[in-house]
Amino acid sequence: MTVNVIETSGLGKRYGSTWALHECMLAIPAGHVAALAGPNGAGKTTLLNLTVGLAEPSAGAVTVLGGLPPGSPAALDGIAFVAQDTPLYKNLPAADMLRLTRNLNRRFDQRYAEARLAELGIPLNRKAGKLSGGQQAQLALTLALARRPRLLVLDEPVAMLDPVARHDFMATVLAAAADEGVSVVLSSHVLAELERVADYLILLSRGRVQVAGEVDGLLASHRLLTGPAAEADNYAERPVVHVRRGEAQAHLLVRATVDDPIPPGWEAHPVGLEELALAYLREPGAGALPGPARSRSPQPSEVTR
Amino acid sequence: MVIDKGDGAPDGGAGASPAGGGLYSDQHLRVSDAEREAATARLAEHFAAGRLDQAEFDDRAARAMSARTRADLSGLFADLSETGSPGVPGRPGGGGTPGGGPRGPGSPIEFRLDAASGVPTYLQLVQQVEHALRLGYLKPGDQLPKVRDVVASLAINPNTVLKAYKELETKGLTAGRPGQGTFIQATLSQVTLPELAGLHKSLLGWLGTADAAGLDQDGIVALFTSALRDFYERRGGTGGRRGAVSGETEDVA
Repeated sequence: MTVNVIETSGLGKRYGSTWALHECMLAIPAGHVAALAGPNGAGKTTLLNLTVGLAEPSAGAVTVLGGLPPGSPAALDGIAFVAQDTPLYKNLPAADMLRLTRNLNRRFDQRYAEARLAELGIPLNRKAGKLSGGQQAQLALTLALARRPRLLVLDEPVAMLDPVARHDFMATVLAAAADEGVSVVLSSHVLAELERVADYLILLSRGRVQVAGEVDGLLASHRLLTGPAAEADNYAERPVVHVRRGEAQAHLLVRATVDDPIPPGWEAHPVGLEELALAYLREPGAGALPGPARSRSPQPSEVTR
Repeated sequence: MVIDKGDGAPDGGAGASPAGGGLYSDQHLRVSDAEREAATARLAEHFAAGRLDQAEFDDRAARAMSARTRADLSGLFADLSETGSPGVPGRPGGGGTPGGGPRGPGSPIEFRLDAASGVPTYLQLVQQVEHALRLGYLKPGDQLPKVRDVVASLAINPNTVLKAYKELETKGLTAGRPGQGTFIQATLSQVTLPELAGLHKSLLGWLGTADAAGLDQDGIVALFTSALRDFYERRGGTGGRRGAVSGETEDVA
């Protein structure tokens, strides 16, 4: 049960002189819906491509599904990947997309796929390119899930979808996680939606892993303190991640639990996932990682974007 | 409008789709792409329900796509009985399809989420069950919605639902039956009326003090909410039968 679906050590990917991903240390346990968040260009797609075997590391190593090399036959059988632009052959009818995927894979649950498309009202003879954006995304997802993967990797799956299509898409993904225990890793820059969807968060910033951990644990180990701005700099009980201050009042996002003492005159609030993620993304030097903390903040000269 | 050819009437009835009784009664008419698609979709439903096997489905889907007249289409369904809604009923072998399919005989309640409330999702589910218990929508023996159904209808993380159900079980309100689901086990211990009146009175006294100190209504609510949160956070979660008390106090506030 303690299998890691993705494990990296010192993983890096360099394009020319630019490190798109640098010294990436990760161990994502199975059984989670893990969100990979971060600004554009943070290295999310690079990391996902490395884990599904579409790119080769420039440094370090990555394994999937408990030690398999990405791209190996066993890894390919166990992982389904839907890339950013929901890749489909636009001129093929849905039925032919199913047939094609069935013939290209060792395992494909045709009955599941057909039932799923019927439930969604996607006509089998309609060309993929003629389906709505939401239907195309659902078709790509159906093809992925019908392979009965142990790990489903989604790159920005809902970026192009309207609110209803987003909801339905995520409902399908999460129901698969509930029904079959599929582990999910999905990238997104929509922080607000992650709170209800993800129970594991990886924040990437400028090619580095800034935060990684179970959402419950992250939220329980951070608090927002509100108090007089004049005393904000004197707070030293616990590490401060991010400070927002007005003339009189300041908000400190700190690494502390409910059991940590609150200085007199300050009020403590629980934090939400979006607030937490935003605070870290604004402070690229700060990190919250399991094990020893990162020793130094990234040098701007090292990371050219 | 509908041209009934007489001989086709019973036949048309047998093969009629649930979408429209007389769809194929004018059997000689040419069919549109939309009708071909609808027919294919219905075939897929039959396939999903196990009434067609792979080869039969492929064959019939191909015939549907090349159908010219309505008679061609209705012939495809002649030997298929259609029962109930197109909800893929009775799918064998478990492993249901993800997504919000129709619910079977299930729970008396349905969860909702308020994203703007600031209350953690799992806690919203817990509170809704407690609320439904107080209002009598849920009784001992009733089943809570299945985890995957909640996941599919709200698009939330399965562990969130499990956490909520675990909390309800810890509180002694529900019990899990292996392979069946989660069932209501107890009613919420109601505070007795005299007790409630006493609490109400002491709260009024406190409100008087707060008012005399110069707090306005919003100030009182803010202070009360903050104190309430501190109280339960210090005690570690909302555990125990005391959950009922917190709800009552909120009502008074």
